Amino acid sequence: MGDFISFLSQNLADFWTYTGFYNATPGHIIMILVGLIFIYLAIAKEFEPMLLIPIGFGILIGNIPFNMDAGLQVGIYEENSVLNILYGGVKSGWYPPLIFLGIGAMTDFSALISNPKLLLIGAAAQFGIFGAYMIALAMGFDPMQAAAIGIIGGADGPTAIFLSSKLAPNLMGAIAVSAYSYMALVPVIQPPIMRLLTNKKERLIKMKAPRAVSHTEKVIFPIVGLLLTCFLVPSGLPLLGMLFFGNLLKESGVTRRLAETARGPLIDTITILLGVTVGASTQASEFLTLDSVKIFALGALSFVIATASGIIFVKIFNLFLKKDNKINPLIGNSGVSAVPDSARISQSVGLEYDPTNYLLMHAMGPNVAGVIGSAVAAGILLGFLI
Amino acid sequence: MNNRIRKYIYICMSVFLGLTVASCNSNDSKGESKLVINEVLVKNVTNYQDDYGQHSAWIEIFNKSFGSENLAGCYIRVQNNLGDSIYFIPKGDVLTVVKPRQHALFWADNQPNRGTFHINCVLDAESDNYIELLDSGKKLLDSVTVPAIALADDCSWARVSDGNKEWEIKGVDSNKYVTPSTNNTTLNSNPKKDKFANLDKFGYGMAISAMTVVFSGLLILFILFKFIGRVAIYLSKRNAMKAKGVTCEKEAKEKKLGEAQGEVIAAISMALHEMQNSAHDYEETVLTITRVKRSYSPWSSKIYSLRETPNRK
Repeated sequence: MGDFISFLSQNLADFWTYTGFYNATPGHIIMILVGLIFIYLAIAKEFEPMLLIPIGFGILIGNIPFNMDAGLQVGIYEENSVLNILYGGVKSGWYPPLIFLGIGAMTDFSALISNPKLLLIGAAAQFGIFGAYMIALAMGFDPMQAAAIGIIGGADGPTAIFLSSKLAPNLMGAIAVSAYSYMALVPVIQPPIMRLLTNKKERLIKMKAPRAVSHTEKVIFPIVGLLLTCFLVPSGLPLLGMLFFGNLLKESGVTRRLAETARGPLIDTITILLGVTVGASTQASEFLTLDSVKIFALGALSFVIATASGIIFVKIFNLFLKKDNKINPLIGNSGVSAVPDSARISQSVGLEYDPTNYLLMHAMGPNVAGVIGSAVAAGILLGFLI
Repeated sequence: MNNRIRKYIYICMSVFLGLTVASCNSNDSKGESKLVINEVLVKNVTNYQDDYGQHSAWIEIFNKSFGSENLAGCYIRVQNNLGDSIYFIPKGDVLTVVKPRQHALFWADNQPNRGTFHINCVLDAESDNYIELLDSGKKLLDSVTVPAIALADDCSWARVSDGNKEWEIKGVDSNKYVTPSTNNTTLNSNPKKDKFANLDKFGYGMAISAMTVVFSGLLILFILFKFIGRVAIYLSKRNAMKAKGVTCEKEAKEKKLGEAQGEVIAAISMALHEMQNSAHDYEETVLTITRVKRSYSPWSSKIYSLRETPNRK
């Protein structure tokens, strides 16, 4: 009987070593708290819930402590575990192009086509990427890591994941979480910079209503856009190819079912998988490092630089435009390609100063140009460094 | 189409075609074989041993593509003073699949019964050896003439680096070493990364060059769509003039032809929606349009706005 009781107690003691309670470290607790904050922000504050809920819950999944020496094949970094297989889409970079397919199928480029000069604002805002790149170099990151960190300033989660999976896979978790976190925090980060860099007169500029865009123009746009951007930067092909393909599905008018699948079930499925696996990749042992802290700081900086450069560019651009063609600098922030959030910020800040000045339609132009610009920038970085 | 627009189209098309044609790479790299002869060692004295412990001459094939290539069914042909022989690489051996950017090594020992990678040819140490790699249809994939007389013992005739066009003698000094089944030049650094690390420590070069490319790309797109927009406006105006029977441009401008009113578009859209989704004889929907002086568009409606801005509660 004594042996049997000893056997039972030994069993329970063994089992205890497999539990999360036994294996928990302060790192796990910190990361679980971070995950809970993400979920709180998503539910209570409605900050990008589509992203923050999967990522936040993914952080919880990835930070459940377990006995890593037991070979349970449950961790995201353990080969052939379920999470590891799902993470394959992030690691090998095929989730982001599929997300871009959906984005293309849901994006209306009319605002951009009717006023193509807004494309240049999208280009100007990409300075955030290279500003952060320079600062990252100064902080001691090597050029490839600096480029992967800089892309956070493109405010494009899929692009950030795609580029970091190629240039700095070891930093991908921190870069992805940082990119998505700051995209969610666009309503907090951008308005103070917009107010700081504009005066009252500029904020009240009313822009001309865009003209109606014909179906032919909408069909030509993805075709010409693809040929032009990818001839220039072939390394951006996976992202730009899928973006413009998705848009052609939408605009052709004859592939409605395909477009609906791309912008509906497909993008939803990939968003879920991407969010959860990116969240789960923040396993405390891999994620809680000084580099992650630096990446978060650089991510915030890159958003600030991108927003500021978009606004300053519009102000300079206005010097060359006729009086009735001026651009409201409050749409400069939309060059940051957090679609459609940064455009929405332009709208809400614009309405604060003139309740009849609706900037949303104008801001969507640089916003979608920012998507193209950040994908082009990612292609350039890949081409330069690989 | 008026002459000005036509002129624009011709100029744009000419510039685009000119750029495309001018930038086309005319070198013969396109259409080149993915499988190439990469290194050949004729006088093997103390070099690499085969699986039988023999020092035989060897021929290394390199797959220069980024996809797997199968050598099965291909031929290796050797012509030298000893004769002209051809070896058929047998099918059915999984090892003939060469992975991306990897190598396959064939022993020229005239012992094909020893396995797939032992060929029925020998290399002549006293004369030039002409070696061909042929595909299954005996189409030439690659060829090389190995100047065996110029090669010392255990020295190979090899491409400077894998797949490179230039050949050199390897094994003569410590920087040029013989590399059976591995890269002709060992890559122990990332030259592109190093270039940026050494020449662009602060990132200005990257920022300037990359921003130039981003701006140029989007600037060209801007110019193109500025032009396409003008053509579209012209065409819609022309169609409207035709429909209304107006021939004078001034009159068309006064009547604002080609500039569709919002309510007209709304009515047409509703009619199309009704037709496509609920085709029936009697339409139940009545569209009442009240003109208001304030300019209105769906974009300015809160109902159609995207999600509400997050508010701190």
